[in-house]
This record gives sequence, structure tokens and C-alpha cells, in this order.
Amino acid sequence: MAPQSTATENDKLVARGRAWLFGDNIPTDQIVPSKLLFLPMAEIVKHILEDLRPDFPGQLKRGDIIVAGHHFGQSSGRAVAPKAIQAAGISCIVAESFARTFLRNCYEIGLPILECRSVSKAVSDGDIVQADLIAGRLANETTKASLPATPCNEFLLKMLRAGGVIAMVKQQQGSAP
Amino acid sequence: MNLVEKILARGSGRKAIKPGDVVVAEIECAILHDLSARSCRVVFENQVGGSLKHPERIVVVFDHQFSPPTEDKAEVLLKTREFCYKHGITLYDCGNGNVHVCTMQNAHIRPGALVVGSDSHSPVHGVMGVFSAALGNDSYAAMVMPHSNCWFRVPDAISIELVGEPKPGTTARDVALWLCATIGEGKGNYYAIKFHGEYIDSLPFWDRWLFPLMAVDVGAKCSYIEPDATTEKFAQSLGLKDYEIVRDDLGTKFAESWRWDVSAIEPQICFPPTVGNVRPIREFAGIPIQWAELGGHGGGRSEDVEMAAHVLRSANKHPRVNFNIVPSSRHVFSEAVGNGNLSLLHERGATWFPPSTGANQAVNMGAMAAGEVTISTHARTFPGRNGSPKSCMYLASALSVAAAAVAGKIVDPREML
Repeated sequence: MAPQSTATENDKLVARGRAWLFGDNIPTDQIVPSKLLFLPMAEIVKHILEDLRPDFPGQLKRGDIIVAGHHFGQSSGRAVAPKAIQAAGISCIVAESFARTFLRNCYEIGLPILECRSVSKAVSDGDIVQADLIAGRLANETTKASLPATPCNEFLLKMLRAGGVIAMVKQQQGSAP
Repeated sequence: MNLVEKILARGSGRKAIKPGDVVVAEIECAILHDLSARSCRVVFENQVGGSLKHPERIVVVFDHQFSPPTEDKAEVLLKTREFCYKHGITLYDCGNGNVHVCTMQNAHIRPGALVVGSDSHSPVHGVMGVFSAALGNDSYAAMVMPHSNCWFRVPDAISIELVGEPKPGTTARDVALWLCATIGEGKGNYYAIKFHGEYIDSLPFWDRWLFPLMAVDVGAKCSYIEPDATTEKFAQSLGLKDYEIVRDDLGTKFAESWRWDVSAIEPQICFPPTVGNVRPIREFAGIPIQWAELGGHGGGRSEDVEMAAHVLRSANKHPRVNFNIVPSSRHVFSEAVGNGNLSLLHERGATWFPPSTGANQAVNMGAMAAGEVTISTHARTFPGRNGSPKSCMYLASALSVAAAAVAGKIVDPREML
């Protein structure tokens, strides 16, 4: 049986939901196109990733999980891309790898992500999956498969628990002597 | 330790660090453009507030807009401008050039420095022998602005050696495009990439620029060229003094070491949807184009203007092509005025735009309707980035862009040498 985390404060670090499949090298330009950049977030979330999957913004439900191939979130480092994914209610992004500015942005806004090298082959669109950031494991409840993933660095877990880098820095200042 | 580890160790007050460590290090220069400065400012003002620890280390360049096209955009620029004035941030307002070229040309990047930027191509500054990485908005709001520091995970490093001499018609941009496809998008993800070898050594500063620029497209966190006589000569030409030359320790080990000979590479073209799609340009010959542009992070250099002048010296622009030239800095524009390329290209039918980042994301120029095709020196090809997702963006060297502007279609630039 896969190791699991139990602490309730870590709830967001174990995400469970329906998987939405995307491919390799998805650019932030296609998560939130430039023409939408300065619209209110409520408007942006109605269009996220729609160039790739027109059904996605209308059908996704709070708690759903994005599953993607390698280098997810490449191109422009716009933080609005992960912020829009977070605002839409996605609980976690699982990808074979992330573009690095996108990865930074996710941790810094408190959006859980999990790097899982074999995820594209082991998950089909619509499967129910559970992503455990602390143990570093992805469970596919639909197929009963359990996949190893990269456990999250302790410093970054602290950032996610705090709700992002701004909150973490404020907490540290508050606790400084 | 390598150059990156040494700079991150110095910045975080440690004697030694290794790949995988997470450190908090002091920032010496932070670079924002008009789009990201706005996002960072809003997050800072709404969620952090207070004063900036070292506003003089922050450089803001309005480069996506050389003149705001709408009231909304004018208001965004005005708010960011007032933020810069209030806090004492260095601002290069509209018309000063591309964010990276402007910052480099105006001597904000000192060899050996720890540099961060909001733009994804910020690793380009590694050409000066610095650590330079792109950060997200909240890094600036939470750490860089109020504390002049940031968190970094120390990257593993890849060494890329380039040898040989390219054939006539194959420019540094062609080599960089070829290399991007050869390595593969994302294959350098999270790594620091070092470029070296006799080919890199032989290049002038602004041609070296194209290699750390390309490193972003294979996913690198940062990239560098060890400083040498070319670097120092360039730094001194900008009036820089009292900088620190940082080099790899002797015997530095790399996670991967790759070596390529560039002498057989033909002129290349990058085609949609992503930047890893690169083939010899002759395979695309004959595709009609309506737009051609020199500009962006990787174009609009004096070298690019010179290549265009070479092609258009004896030929006019094609009547059905709009050929836009966007200098990447005021310095480039001055050089074109001084050496006659400004009037030559104007008279051959090209249109000069203000120094800026040109059609990048079509914020201020360069949108296309469905079915239109552009060829440019820009850095991205994603559908929908410049107007209709049914338009098409090709990337190539300035030589190939100018040749296409004359022919009205994609051609092998060797036909026009």
C-alpha cells in the first residue's frame, strides 16, 4: 500500500480529484492568452486552456487535477497562469516535469504541484487520482496503479503550508526575535 | 564550484553549496518590464507594502509598449511610472528598447553579479558572466522588493562545447536554433547551462548573447559564458569598473557534458507551435509571408540591421510584405543613423519602429489576422501569441528574415549572399 500523509493541516498537500489530461510543453500563453491578461480573474478563469480543450473551463469542478506531460507551463513567466488555475479550483497539477518559472510561481502562490515521471502513460482522461506531495506518490484510483513521484522539498512544503511566499515571509518576520 | 554556485554561495553567505540546496541570496540587480512591473507592483501594494530595501538595484523598462494604444494601458503605465518615481526605481520609459538589451546596454549588468528578472528570457544576461534567472511576480513582491533577496534551488549544470566554423549564410542565430532542437525543449529543465569552446570564443559579444537566450527554450534556469577578453572589453566599453570576474574552479564537474561541431549547420527556421520545432529553412522555401520583423530579445541588434542592409542594398522590399525594423536599444538606432543603414533600409521600403520589444505578444504592434504569416527574429512561435491562433509565426536569422522580405516568401538566404 502506498504511504500516505495523515496530518490534517497537510490536507491541501494530498489532493484527490478527476484528472484532466494535457500534453507536453504547454505554454503559459495557452493557459492564459495575452489578450486576457488584464481582465478580472473571474473572467479569465472562464477561458483557461480553452485553446487546447474548449470544454475544459466549462466542465471542470473544484478539486479536479490537471495531469500533463513534460515541461508544463513553459514560455512567459506570467504568474497569472497558475493563479488562474488556482482560482478555477484545480487542487493540484501533476506533470512529468514543469518549466521552472511556472514551478516557482506555483509554490509561491500556494498551488500544490507534483512531479511524476510516468504520469502521462498511467493516467487516462477522467480517471480519479490522488496526489500526495509529502510521500511523493500518485495513486490512480480508477486503475489501482500507484506511481512514484518526487517528494516536495521541505522549504517548499513550508511555503505551500503557509499559503505561498508572501505569507511565509510574513510568518517568519512575525516569529523573528 | 562552478560560476553559478560561487555567485549563489557568495550571495547567501556560505562557503560552499551544492546542487539541490535551497538558499536565500542577496540580489544585486532586478529587471522588470512593463507587463511584469505592473503585476509585481499590484501584488506588492496590495499584499506586502512598505518601503523597498534597495530601489536603486531595480530596473524597469517599458518595452512591450512604446506608446500605449488605449486609455487602459496608458493608466497601467502611469501607475507603474508613479510607483518608480515614488520609490526611486530606475525607469526606462517607452522607446528605450527591449528590456534585456536596454538593461545590458545601460550598464546595469556587472560581471559576477547576482541578477534576477521577471521576463522568462532573463538567463540571457549570463553572457556577461553573471548568475541570472527568471522569477515569478510574488518573488519580487515578497522578497526582492522589500528585502533585496530571494530563494534559489541550486541547479545542476550542463557543459556545452561548440567547435568548428559555420558556413557562409549560417549565422549565430541559426546555430542557436539548431541547438535548441538538437537538445530538445525541456531537456535542460532546471539546469544551469555553460556555453564554451572555440566557436563561442570566436563570437563577438552580441552574437554570444543568442546562446544563453536560447537556453531558456530548453528549460534552463540560468546559463553562462565564462568571462574572457571579449566580455571585459565589452564591460569596459559600457564604463563598468570594479566588477568581479567569477569563473569555474579548475576541475569543475558537470552533470552532463555535450559537444557539437557547428561547421555543417545550414540556415534554420523555427516553426509553430513550439520553439523546439526547427528544420533547415530550404525545406520551407516558397511559403508566402505578409510580415517580416527584426526585433525582440534575439533580434533588432546592430548585427541584425547590418545583415538586413546587406540583403537590401541591391533590392527593394517585396510590395506585398510589411518589413518592420525594431531596434533593441537607442544605441542600435544611433548606430543605424550613423552608418547610413537607417536611410538605406527606409528607402528600400522597410518601416522603422521605436526601440522596444516589437511585436512580442502583440501588445503594441504585430497582431495578425487568420491566415497571415510572419517571419521574424523573435523568440516564440506559440499560436495565438500574436493575434489569431490561425496565423503563423516563423523564426529565423535576420539574414533569412530580410531575404524573405525581399522575396515575399520564405527562401534560403544563401541565394541572396
